[in-house]
Amino acid sequence: MKKFIILFNILACLVVLESCSKLDVDVESQYVKDNFPVTNSDYAALFGTMYSNLSSQYGVPYWRMQELSTDAAIIPARDGNFDDGGQYRQLHYHTWTIDHPNVRDIWQWGFGGINNCNRLINLTNESAVSAASKTASLAEVRAMRALYYYFMMDLYGNVPIIDTFPVSTLPGNQTREKVFEFIEKELLAVVSQLPVKDNNNRVLVYGRPTQAMAYALLEKMYLNAEVYTGKIRYNDAVTMADQILKNSNYALDAKYSDIFDVNNGPQVNETIFAIPYDQQIPGNQITRFGFYPALAASYGINVGFSIAMSTTPEYYNRFNLTNDIRNSFWLIGKQYAPDANRKPDLSKPVFVAGTTTQIEITPDLILKPGKPMDLGNTVADQAKGVRSVKYWPDVNAIQATRLNGNDMPVLRLADVMLMKAEAILRGAAATTVNGELQTPLLLVNKIRSRAGTTAATTVTLSTLLDERAREFSWEAWRRNDLIRFGQFETEYPLPNDVLSMNKDLTRRIYPIPANELKLNTNLKQNPGY
Amino acid sequence: MKSNYKFISLSFLKRWQCLAMLMLLFALNSYSQSSKLITGKVIDETNQSIPGVTIRIKGGNIGTSTNSDGFYSIQAKSTDMLVFSMLGGITREVNVGNQTKINVTIMPDNQTLKDVVVIGYGTANKKDLTGAVTSIKSEEFNQGVMVNPAQLLQGKVAGLNVTKSGDPNAKPSTILRGPSTLREGAAQEPFYVIDGVPGASIDLLAPSDIENIDILKDASSTAIYGSRAANGVIIVTTKRSKNGQSRLSYNGYAAVEKVSKKYDMLSAPELRQYLADNKQTLNSVDDDGSDTNWQSLLEKTGYSQNHNVSFGGSGQASDYGASVNYLDNQGILKNTSLKRTIVRGYLNQKFFNDRLKLGLTVTNSNSKSSDIYQSQALSNMLFYLPTVSPFNADGTYKENYNRTGSGTRNPLSIVDNNDIDNLNNKTLINGMAQLNIIDGLKFTASVSSQRDQNNYSTYLNSQSGLARGVNGQAQKIDVLNKSQVLEGYFNYDKTFGKHSLKLLGGYSWQEDRTNDGFGVTTQNFSNDNLGYNNLFLSNPSLLSQIAFNNAPISTLRLISYYGRVQYNYNEKYLLQASLRNDGSSAFGRNNRWGLFPAVSAGWRIIGEDFMKAVPVISDLKLRAGYGVSGNSLGFDAFSSLLIYGTLSGSNKFLNNGNISNAIGPVRNENPDLKWESTATTNIGLDFGLFKDRISGSVDFYIKETSDLIYDRYEVSTTQFFLPTITANVGKIKNTGVEFTLNAVAVKTNNFKWTTSPNLATNKNKVVTLSDDFYKIAAIQTAQLGGKGQSGNFSQLIQPGYALGTFNLWNYAGKNAAGVSTYINAAGQTIATQPLTTDAKIAGDAQPKLIYGWANSFNYKNWDMNFLVRGVLGNKILNATAASLNNPADAKLQNIPRSTLGESFNDINAYLISDRYLESGSYLRLDNATVGYTIKPKTPSIKAIRLYVTANNLFVITNYTGIDPEINIGGLTPGIDNNNYYPKTRTFSFGVSASF
Repeated sequence: MKKFIILFNILACLVVLESCSKLDVDVESQYVKDNFPVTNSDYAALFGTMYSNLSSQYGVPYWRMQELSTDAAIIPARDGNFDDGGQYRQLHYHTWTIDHPNVRDIWQWGFGGINNCNRLINLTNESAVSAASKTASLAEVRAMRALYYYFMMDLYGNVPIIDTFPVSTLPGNQTREKVFEFIEKELLAVVSQLPVKDNNNRVLVYGRPTQAMAYALLEKMYLNAEVYTGKIRYNDAVTMADQILKNSNYALDAKYSDIFDVNNGPQVNETIFAIPYDQQIPGNQITRFGFYPALAASYGINVGFSIAMSTTPEYYNRFNLTNDIRNSFWLIGKQYAPDANRKPDLSKPVFVAGTTTQIEITPDLILKPGKPMDLGNTVADQAKGVRSVKYWPDVNAIQATRLNGNDMPVLRLADVMLMKAEAILRGAAATTVNGELQTPLLLVNKIRSRAGTTAATTVTLSTLLDERAREFSWEAWRRNDLIRFGQFETEYPLPNDVLSMNKDLTRRIYPIPANELKLNTNLKQNPGY
Repeated sequence: MKSNYKFISLSFLKRWQCLAMLMLLFALNSYSQSSKLITGKVIDETNQSIPGVTIRIKGGNIGTSTNSDGFYSIQAKSTDMLVFSMLGGITREVNVGNQTKINVTIMPDNQTLKDVVVIGYGTANKKDLTGAVTSIKSEEFNQGVMVNPAQLLQGKVAGLNVTKSGDPNAKPSTILRGPSTLREGAAQEPFYVIDGVPGASIDLLAPSDIENIDILKDASSTAIYGSRAANGVIIVTTKRSKNGQSRLSYNGYAAVEKVSKKYDMLSAPELRQYLADNKQTLNSVDDDGSDTNWQSLLEKTGYSQNHNVSFGGSGQASDYGASVNYLDNQGILKNTSLKRTIVRGYLNQKFFNDRLKLGLTVTNSNSKSSDIYQSQALSNMLFYLPTVSPFNADGTYKENYNRTGSGTRNPLSIVDNNDIDNLNNKTLINGMAQLNIIDGLKFTASVSSQRDQNNYSTYLNSQSGLARGVNGQAQKIDVLNKSQVLEGYFNYDKTFGKHSLKLLGGYSWQEDRTNDGFGVTTQNFSNDNLGYNNLFLSNPSLLSQIAFNNAPISTLRLISYYGRVQYNYNEKYLLQASLRNDGSSAFGRNNRWGLFPAVSAGWRIIGEDFMKAVPVISDLKLRAGYGVSGNSLGFDAFSSLLIYGTLSGSNKFLNNGNISNAIGPVRNENPDLKWESTATTNIGLDFGLFKDRISGSVDFYIKETSDLIYDRYEVSTTQFFLPTITANVGKIKNTGVEFTLNAVAVKTNNFKWTTSPNLATNKNKVVTLSDDFYKIAAIQTAQLGGKGQSGNFSQLIQPGYALGTFNLWNYAGKNAAGVSTYINAAGQTIATQPLTTDAKIAGDAQPKLIYGWANSFNYKNWDMNFLVRGVLGNKILNATAASLNNPADAKLQNIPRSTLGESFNDINAYLISDRYLESGSYLRLDNATVGYTIKPKTPSIKAIRLYVTANNLFVITNYTGIDPEINIGGLTPGIDNNNYYPKTRTFSFGVSASF
C-alpha cells in the first residue's frame, strides 16, 4: 500500500513537471505582431517611422555630403580640432575613401528607410482598413520610398532596386538609368492618389508627400536627366513645374526668413516638402556647427556651440546684389547683438571674452602649415570664415543635444520656378501659367523681387547658377547644381593650400560603402574606386 | 484523478504547494520496539563533554543527542549497534551487548572538515572530485574593506582574474579562465550560487557572513548548472551554527583610505613659467592669479567602518541564526560613498525523526550610495587650469564656457553642484524542504523569491555646468526587478561493497522580470533647496524639457531538467557524468532547448598498491573531464521576436501638428537565435607530498565558445532595415594552464608558516566571426574620442587575434623639428595626423601570466599573512597620458610634469598611437595583516582577535599611469581613458570576537 502511494505520487509529480515546460513569456511594455498595428493611430505611428528615420540623418550627414563637397560650406581643422580622421577635408578635396563615415551611414539610412517602406507596404496590404484608406496609405509609402531612392540615386548612382520585403537574395546593382526609370514610374503611378495641399489640410499634409511634392521631385529628376541618364527631358521638367505653379495654394512668402525660422511650419506658403524638426525631433544641428559660438549669449542662447563650419570666400562673394535680404544672413565683419528685427544693433557690440576687442569675422580661410587643412586656433583664427544665421539660432537649444527646431525645406516653390527657368534656358519651350507667359527672366525676377533686390536685365545659365547659389544656400542642393553645370571639379585653392582636389569625373558619385561590399557580395563598386 | 486537474493550471504557488504535499505524503510515522535503557557521556579529546552529538541505532531510525552536559539516554536492544556522530568528529560505532552505560570519546576529524567541498546540488569529498574545483575557507579570504565577495578571492584562485577600482559603488569585474564572450556585464561574469539559491544577488552577502567559497572552474563541474555556467560557478556558503552550540560573534573594522598615486600636474606658477618660456600667454579670463590644486580639492581621505554581529544556535532538531551587517564606505573622492545594511535570519528544523527538514532564510540588504559624474569630474580634475580660482568673488562657481580644449568645466562645481543618489533594497526569501524518503534517497525542494527595488535620483542644480541655464534639472528613476526560482531534486546515495553510487535528478524553474518602473526628467525650479524631492514644482516651458525614461519590461524564463551520476570503485576509480536540458524563453521558438552534457573521470593513483612504495607521495590523483555549458545573458530577452516600440535617436515625428511617437520594429528580429555554448576539456593532477604537507594541483584546459551571441553583428541594409542584428556567429578559444601549491614550509611547536602560490596562464584567441550566413571580417571597438579624434577606433576584434587587440597608429619617433611622426598604411613616414585607415595591429590587453602568492605565519597567539599578486605580459593603452600630453594647448588646459620634456613644437603629441601602449605588468603587495588572538579564561568568551590590515602597500610596475590594474573585463579591456578612479591605499584596524 505504501509503495503504491509512493509510485502514485511520483507519477503525479511527473505529470506536473511535464506541464511546467512552458517557455512563452508575456511582452508587457512593447507591442507584438498580435496586438499591433490595429487602430488607425497605430498605423499613423507605424508610418511615422518613415519620417522619424528621414529626419534623423538628413540634417547633418546627408547635408554634409551635399554641401561640404562644394564651395558652399567647409569644416577646416583648427589646430587639430575637427580633424576627426580626415572626414571633412576628404569631402572638401573629393578624396573620400570607400569607408568614409558619411558614405557608410547615409547608405544605411537610405536603404534602411527603403526596407522599412517595403515592410509598411506589406502591412498596409494585409490590413483591414477601407479600400480608399489603403490606396491613400500605399501612395504615401510609395512616394516616400521614391524620395529615399532619389537620394540614393543622386548620391551613389548605381544602387540596387529593392521593392519587396523580406528580401530573399542579396540584390546586385542596377544602372543609374534603371533606378531613374523606377523612381519615375513610381511617382507617376501614385501622384494622382496623393493629397493636394489646400487651406483645410495644411497641417495634416505638412512634412508628408503631396501631389506637389511628387511633381517637384519629378521636375528635379527631369532637369537632371542628362546627368542621370544621358537623355534630355527639359520639356517634361516644365510640364511638371506647371502642375505646381497653377495651384494658388503655393505662393512665394513675402519674408524670406520665415521659410527657415525656428517656428517655420505649415504656415509657410511656398514649402512643398520639408523635414520637420523640433527640440524633440533630433537631426538639425546647423547652429551647433555653422554659427559663431562666442555670439551665442548675445543671441539669447546659453549653450556652448562648436567652432567648425563656415562658407568659402568665393561662395560668399556671389552675394553681390544690393539690398538683397539674403546677404544679411551671413555673419561677417564686426559683430553686434541682434535687435528685435534681427538686424545688428550697433549700440551693442560683442567683445571677445575678457577684452574690449570687438569680435570681427573675416572671410579668408588662410591655412597654417603643419596640419592638413588647418586654420590654427588663436582667437583671430577662430574668427576666420563667414558663418550663417539663415536658419535662425534656436533659443530653446540645450547643451545636452544642441538641436535646432528649424524645419529644413527640401522642395519649395522658388526651386520649382528657378528649375523651370533653367529648363527653358536649356532648350525647353516657355509656357503660360494662369495667364502669365513665364520666361526665365520673369521667373528670376520674381525671386529677386521677393529678396528685395534689383531686377535682372538678362539671364544666362551662369547667372542662373549664381542666383541658385544665393537663393538655395545651405539647403543641400549645391552639389546637385554644380554637377549639372559641370563645375563640381572647379577648385578654389585656399591660401597656403598644400593638398589638391581629386578632379576625376568618377567622383561625381560616391562609392558603395566598403562594409556593404563585404556583406553583400552581389554588389559591385562604382567605377573609379 | 482530481488532483491532476488542479496541477494543469500553471501558477508558481500552486506548483510549490503540490511539491510540499507530495513530501508530506512520504513522511512516515516512527514506530517503537521493546528495548532497555542505555545511558552515557560523550567527551572529546580534551575530556570536555560534547553536547549535540547524534546517537543512532544503526540500521534503524531511533535517534537522540547528547544534552548540554554531554549526557544521553536511548532505548536499544543488546543486538543493536550504536552510532555516535557529529560534524567534524570521527564517527564511533559501539555494540550495545550487555552494557547499559556506554561512554564514548569522539576525536576531531580535521581531515574531513577540510575536504568537504560544495559542488552543484550537493557536497563531495575533495578526494572524490573529478573536476577542477578550488575551495577557499573564510580564514583564507583577503581582508580589508571588502564590499563585494569577489574581492575576497582576488589573487587566491588560479585562473580567476578580479579587478576593481577604488570606487565604492563600482562592481569588480571577474573573469575566469579568459574572456569567452563578446557581451559585457553579467554575460562575462561567473554564476553565483548562494546557499543553494542559484543566481541570488551577491549584493545580499556581507563578507563576514561567508563560511567558504567553492569555485567550479571546468565544464564537468559547472555543466550541472547548464545555461548560466559558461564562465564558471562560484558557490558561496554562509556561516551556520554547529551541532548543539550557540554562537555569538562580532566582527568589526575601521579603515582609512587615501589616494596612493596621482598624476603630477603643474602648479599655477609652473604653468605660467612654462607658457612664458614658450612665448605664450593665458587669456585674461583664464588667469586670476590663483594657484588651485584641483586634485586635492576633489580628493579626500575615505573613512570606512563595518560592523557585523552574528548569532545563532542549534538544538536537537533545529538550528537557527541571524546576522546584521552595517557597512559605511566613504570613497576617496568627494561626495562618493556607500552605506549598506544587511540583515539575515535563518531557521532550520527537523521533524519526524529527522526525516523532514524545513528551512527558511530571509535576507534583506538596504543600501544608499552617493556618486558623482565621474567621467567629467575625473578628466576636468586633471585638465582644468590651475590658474583660476574655483569661485568668483561673489561666491558662485567660476566657469568659462567659451574655453575650448579638454578642461572646460569647473571640476569642483561638477562634484558639488550635481547630486547622484541611489537607494536600493533587495530582499531574498528562500524556503527549503528536505525529505529523507528511504535510506539513501533524499528529496529537496527549494523555493526562492528575490525582489530588488532601486530608486535613482539626480539633481543638477542651477549653478551646474552640466545643465547650463535651465535652473536645475531633476531626474528620478524607479525600477523593480523580481526573480523567482523553484528547484526540486532527488539525491540517491548508495554504497554496496566497493562500489559507491550517487545519483541526482532534478528540475528547475526560474523567471526574472526586470525593469518594471519608470523615470522622469524635468527642469526649471525656483530654487535648488528641494533638489529632486518634488518634481511637481518644476516649471518646464516646453514638452522637450520633460523626458520619460524608455526602458521596457523584460522577462526571461529558464526551465531545466538535470541529472548526474557519480560512481567510484573502491575510492580509486572515479567517474562522473551529468546531463542538463535547458530551455530559455530568449531564444527562437525552434532553438529554445539546449543539451549540456559533461563527463569526467578520475584515478586516485595514491590508492593503488604500487604507490605504497613511494611514501613521499601522500596524494596523487589524475582527472580528466569534458563538458558543455551555455550562456544566455547579456542581450535583450526578446531578441528573437518581432517587437514594436521606439528606436532611440529617431522616435518622434510631426503628426498632424502634434509631435508623436513613431512606433516600428525595434530591431531585426532573429527567430533562429540559439544558445551560446562553451565546451571545456580539463585535465588535472592533484598531488600531495610528505603526508600532505605540500599539496597542490596542475590543470590544463581548452575552453572553446561557439555560436557566440553578439548584439551588433553587421548585416547589409540591402536586405535588413537596420544595419545590425543579434545573432550567433563565431568562436573564441581559451587555452591555459593553472598551477596551485599549498605548503607548510615550517612547522614547529610555536611557529608555522604556510605558503600558497598560484599561477595561471591563458591564451585567448578569436577563432572566427563568420558563418554560412554572416560574414564579418572584424569588429571595431573602443572609440576613445580625444582632440580631433572623434570616431576613431582603438581596438579590433579579429579572427586570429585575442580579444582586446589594439589597432593603433604606428608611431615613428619625432623628426628633426620635434614633431611626432607616424608610418602610414603605404609605409611612408608622415608628420601629419594619419587617416583611420593607417591604423595597425599592436599587441593586446590579455595577460600572459596571472599569479598570486599568499603566505601566512602563526607564532603562538600572533598571526600574520600577506598576499602578493600580479600579472605579466599584458599591454595597456594609456590614453589618459596621450590626452594630457598636449603642450600646444597649455594655455587652455593643464599639462603634467612629464610634458615639460616634450618639444613645444610637437603639434601631434596628443594623438593616441602605439607610443602610448605600455606594458601593464605589475606586482602588488595586495594585503598584509597582523593579528593577535586573545583566548581569555572565561568560558563565555571563546576568542578575541585584533588585527591590522594594510591594502595595496606597494606596487612594482613600469606603467606610467596611475595604476596598472585596469579593467580586464568587457569588450575593451586594457584601456586607461580618463575614467579611471584613483587607486587607493587602505589601513584598517579590526576586532573579531566570538562568544
